[in-house]
Amino acid sequence: MSEVARLQLICLSVVGCGILILLFIKSVFPRVIGFLAIVLGLFMLTALAVPQMASLPPVEEKFDIATVKTPTDLAAIGQKIFFSKGQCALCHTIGPSESARCPDLKGIGAKLSREFLYESLTQPQAYIYQDYRHEGLPKMYPAEMPAINKNPIGLSRNEILSVIAFLQQMSGEPISINPSELDVPGQAPAAPVKAAQSGPMAVAQAH
Amino acid sequence: MQQDQGGWIQRLLRSSSEHGGALLGLVIAAGLLGLPALVFGADVAPAAPTEYRDIPYVGSRNVIWVIAQLHLLLAGFVLGVPMFAWVCEVVAWRGGEKRYDKLAKEFTKLLTSAYSTTALFGGILLFLLIAFYPKLMNYLTDIFFPSFIVYCILFLVETATLYLYWYGWDAMQYGGKKTFHIFLGFMLNFFAFFIMIIPNSWATFQSSPVVIAEGTDLARAWAATWNPTWWPVNIHRIIANVVLGGYICGAYAGIRYLSAKTPEERDHYDWMGYVGNFIGVFGLLALPFAGYWLMREIYQYNQQMGITLMGGFLSWLFILQAMLIGVLFLGSNYYFWLGITYRIPGSALKYRRPMLAMLVVLLLCLAVWMTPHSLVASLEEAAKMGGSHHPLLGVLGVMSAKMTVSNLMILVTFMSFIMYWRAGKQDTAGWAKVAKAIMGAILVLAGIAVIILGVWGYFVPAIIRINYFSTSQVLIVIGVMLTITPLTALLLKSAKTTTEMVWGKMPPRAGYSLVLNAVMVILLMTLMGYARSSSRVHWHVYGVVRDTSQYAFSPALGYASGIMALCTFFFCMIVAFIFWVATMGDKAKVATTSPSKGELPHGMPAMAGASSALDKPEERKF
Repeated sequence: MSEVARLQLICLSVVGCGILILLFIKSVFPRVIGFLAIVLGLFMLTALAVPQMASLPPVEEKFDIATVKTPTDLAAIGQKIFFSKGQCALCHTIGPSESARCPDLKGIGAKLSREFLYESLTQPQAYIYQDYRHEGLPKMYPAEMPAINKNPIGLSRNEILSVIAFLQQMSGEPISINPSELDVPGQAPAAPVKAAQSGPMAVAQAH
Repeated sequence: MQQDQGGWIQRLLRSSSEHGGALLGLVIAAGLLGLPALVFGADVAPAAPTEYRDIPYVGSRNVIWVIAQLHLLLAGFVLGVPMFAWVCEVVAWRGGEKRYDKLAKEFTKLLTSAYSTTALFGGILLFLLIAFYPKLMNYLTDIFFPSFIVYCILFLVETATLYLYWYGWDAMQYGGKKTFHIFLGFMLNFFAFFIMIIPNSWATFQSSPVVIAEGTDLARAWAATWNPTWWPVNIHRIIANVVLGGYICGAYAGIRYLSAKTPEERDHYDWMGYVGNFIGVFGLLALPFAGYWLMREIYQYNQQMGITLMGGFLSWLFILQAMLIGVLFLGSNYYFWLGITYRIPGSALKYRRPMLAMLVVLLLCLAVWMTPHSLVASLEEAAKMGGSHHPLLGVLGVMSAKMTVSNLMILVTFMSFIMYWRAGKQDTAGWAKVAKAIMGAILVLAGIAVIILGVWGYFVPAIIRINYFSTSQVLIVIGVMLTITPLTALLLKSAKTTTEMVWGKMPPRAGYSLVLNAVMVILLMTLMGYARSSSRVHWHVYGVVRDTSQYAFSPALGYASGIMALCTFFFCMIVAFIFWVATMGDKAKVATTSPSKGELPHGMPAMAGASSALDKPEERKF
């Protein structure tokens, strides 16, 4: 018997006890307790009827450099991070959606350079990309992009590069990140990926 | 040495066989009692400081959950009751109706025992937090130590004020002394407010921490206190405490009404139920606005947290919340409608159609509010729906629709209240017709404006809807209440009473509806406590101190609802116990001074105050 079924059985018993109390006991206070039991039991049954989702802490993806032989291996790790620790899919879609909270990432790896993508992930407000493909004003989104290399998400440089590799692969582009660029534990980290030379804040327009 | 030990064990075994199982039972009991200590001991690592401790079977997180929730509910109760009592005392003082003063006194009497029970749970919670989460407590103490001191001082001042307020009640009944007593009541609430907002700063800092710059201890504590969700939570909680206090008063009155033996008791508890429900509804109407502000601040602070709450794994929680709020609105309105039907003879027929119409509107609004939208769906489920949102229900599940129906529900409840207020009275003022036409127009126009803004909200960017449209809807509804309430009060000042209100004629289901309302409020508080805690996901302090214990996950709603139901049940039993203890003396007094069989009692048992008729003894002579 599953845990949900066991809990449902308990709830039904609680509701049943409540009904029996109301049927056979005349004293007011026990009757009120019976009534309370019915209400609480029904509340629990309703809560058990909805999808049961627990929020698990993100699995710490073991970034074992030794297992990354090709750019495709890197993209595979990036895909896992995209849908788990990176929480990208919480806001972004891959494919058009009218109710998306944030821009659609389909084909983003082909449109933007890896340097631009890196900067967009780590300094999202540095260079605002406005998409003029829509008619009228650029679409406004309710959510603001967080710096992905800082808490609470806090992706490492290797993890960000693997996400970029995934975005490029998903867009049908050749993956421009080589596994040799990854930071090796115990060695001094490589210089951050240089973004496009620009001022502290600028607006790019895609016509 | 080994021989000695062996001998000791042999002696123990022999002894156990001689004295039956008694000694063995003692040893086993001592062993069981020592189990937690063994677990604590096992966790202690000599090299690094202990980060977490646990207790077997139950789990430290569950224990903290239940104790913290009970402490919070009790705190809400002891902060809500003084507000409730003080308002009643002021009403009696200004209006001259003694029964309100008696009601206030009887509820203040509860405070002494309720206050100590709350402090007891607070103490238990503190000890358990220090034991189970030393790393986190160390971190928070380092930041908030100055506010701990202020908190202790406030407790001392609050306790002294409560003693003066309660024990000085009879001695400060008239003239300037009464004014001073009212001032004491105000100060009691004033200190209580600060007692509430200080722990709020600790809890909200966990959800929305800010960067703490270098500086003095005081400056660091102040910086952490003034975090983005502190004031929204303060306002939300103070209103929620009023609601809790009102509905618990109502539930108590409901139970006493059901068990009332004399007509006077029925009169009195019927009236008390009305007062409790009224104060509960009064707060309930404002609560969604405070909730909206809190949610807006959460989104502004961190979209991810907002999305986790509204569109992530907690999205179903808000459907449950809608259900509970919906039942609360229905229960409160139902009680008003029962009041119109049974307390004001002849009104049932007159108001049947409006009541039916309001019921339909409330049910429709509830159906829309409960429509899910942004839910976590598997690929298979999404494919079956034809996208991430249901093609039909998705339209009603968006925030624009939900904001609209929640505002409409508030408007309908407000209308119920106005209807109840006006029932059995005939306007005599010359401008009554114009005033009624204006009020009707305001209500209709407000309803239309709320709906238009709601529909328009589908066609504008979310930011415009959130910042302008939703805020406008809220302002319109507040405007309606602020316009119609004084107009009605002015109108009724000169109105003629055509039908006297008859107390004590409500059917038993009225008492149960009062109990149901209180249970809904308690469940809502437990549900939102879980939401607030789960929104931090795997962080003790969001983005700063990570939860690395085995309990760094948020359980699914089904399991969580079990803990919520348990907390609700325990809280109801504790409150029942407090009421029972506080009124025990009155019952004994009534028993010793009760007249011979058949005579009317001179005072009301338990909750004094009696019916309105008891305020006018000269009338009862005839």
